[in-house]
Amino acid sequence: MVELFTYPPILKGFIVLILTGFAFPITGVYLLRMNLLPLRFMLMHGAILGGALSLAMQVNPFVGTMAINLLLVLLMTRMSRSLKTDPGQLSAFFMVVSISLAFIFIYRFQVPAKDTLSLMWGSLYTLNNFEFAGILVFSLLLIVFQGVYRHQLRAVFFDSDIAKTSGVNEPAFYYAIILITAVTVAAAMKLIGALLLDALLLLPALIASYHAKSYRGMILWSSFWGGLFATVGFLLSLALELPASSTIAAFASVVFLILILSRKK
Amino acid sequence: MEHSLILFHDNRQIFTSDEHWLYPLFELEAYLNSSVIPVGELFLRDKIAGKAAAALIARLGIRSCHIELLSERAIPIFEQYGVQYGYDQLVDHIQCRTEDLITDKMSMEDTYLFLRKRAGKVQGTTLTIDSLTVEISGKRILADLCLEIGRGEQLIIQGENGSGKTTLLRSILGLDKALKGSIKIGEEFVGSSEWLRNRVQTGYLNQESIRNNFPITASEVVAIGVSGIKISDSERDYHVELSMRKTGCFHLQHQMFHQLSGGEKQRVSLARCLCQNARLLLLDEPTSYLDEKGKDELGELLYDLSRNEAPTMLLVSHDAFWTEKLNWHRKTLKAGKLW
Repeated sequence: MVELFTYPPILKGFIVLILTGFAFPITGVYLLRMNLLPLRFMLMHGAILGGALSLAMQVNPFVGTMAINLLLVLLMTRMSRSLKTDPGQLSAFFMVVSISLAFIFIYRFQVPAKDTLSLMWGSLYTLNNFEFAGILVFSLLLIVFQGVYRHQLRAVFFDSDIAKTSGVNEPAFYYAIILITAVTVAAAMKLIGALLLDALLLLPALIASYHAKSYRGMILWSSFWGGLFATVGFLLSLALELPASSTIAAFASVVFLILILSRKK
Repeated sequence: MEHSLILFHDNRQIFTSDEHWLYPLFELEAYLNSSVIPVGELFLRDKIAGKAAAALIARLGIRSCHIELLSERAIPIFEQYGVQYGYDQLVDHIQCRTEDLITDKMSMEDTYLFLRKRAGKVQGTTLTIDSLTVEISGKRILADLCLEIGRGEQLIIQGENGSGKTTLLRSILGLDKALKGSIKIGEEFVGSSEWLRNRVQTGYLNQESIRNNFPITASEVVAIGVSGIKISDSERDYHVELSMRKTGCFHLQHQMFHQLSGGEKQRVSLARCLCQNARLLLLDEPTSYLDEKGKDELGELLYDLSRNEAPTMLLVSHDAFWTEKLNWHRKTLKAGKLW
């Protein structure tokens, strides 16, 4: 199996998956704590719109997906804050808008729907150098962001009003969290696909929330579980000759199930 | 006498102050708190002393003093606390408003707290609300509301559910915008850039914190109080420990916040406010989720706080029985106004 790592796409995929495995669950904690779960669905639909647009305009779909997702979260957050409306409701609205626009573009510009929807499956081994470097840099920045602003983030997650009265610039952190979520979802979709990205994002954070006794523990445990799922899942996929993304998701699900059942006892 | 106050130990001058009014005695208090000299062996020379200075001298434990200009009103206090005194000139009373404000009914500790507040030696700041009008979703909640609270004072605002008590607190915090009027905390208007820079001076105990189930330890909650300022981890730990010790919850530091009892949570939340060095403390229905024991504990804690750090405290509650026991000033919020 070791010889497989001599192939650049596999090595590249392995490196990026390990790093994101440790980094992306941090965003999962953000999503869980800020109750932003519907945001993922909006971003998945936004990715289809981004993909359709990119294919129509013949630009890199990864960049297009990222741009549309950033635009969507900024719009959604701005509207949610100014209209004092639930982000979940607005996410549903933007989800419908995105998918309708995506199909209009697919129809109007005769973009092959199959190509657009293939973006939903992820492609770990087809990362180009730009995507590889971009995801690595983002993962490192995410870890640095969490490390540097851990105290302020803790305050925001505990209670946004308390955070404000403690002198934390809560709106700035809220926007930062939303933008980070958008980039993470776009990157995770590229790696393991829209339908399986929760294995890297949410499952580690969910498991951590069951046994972590502190905010620090929550972040560290999420990161640990994410890293474990990515590493073991990737190696298993090579050993069993299965797709990496689904093996990671299956492994994460088994661990989740075991922990839930043992917790129940 | 070249200094306004001189302190001697074994005929040796060990402390002087050139301040005026009661400030030399407050300076002396700080000096004595940091020294190990037996206070009973000290001799004090002061320029003027009335009731207020006599109370402070007696409370410091000084047993011998000489006053250049002594008010007759000071003598009963010196005699009550066994302070030997001498003077150059004795007068009926001295021209000082403070002396007139100290009544015979006030205990030594009440007098001391009163003098600290007058001298600005308490953590509390002033709160001035002028013609505050707030509307939420087109409904007028507060209408031309006016309120003034002095440094280190406490006030309870009572009112029915939905009378606007929480809205008032949120407006003071800058969380709900005023349609009209102004709110001034110390010298800063809420909403101004100076206020934004010093926003931490207002601590908030809301009802939501009690229900919070985020996996976070008690010490992490307290540390939130200093999350808006740049300090080292060791400084942060120091402030957290100090605040938790002050509110008697240091032993809970590693426990998960959401697993604590209601009373313990309020202790931790108060420690958070102390950690952020809040000068104005806003408490929103603090007894909502407390049993009788928790309520009693919170009452004791607030009493201690009002005697020691003495932040200005504004508490809103509809728990009339509990607030009566606090013995604070009270107002009622009705139809958007305070009565």
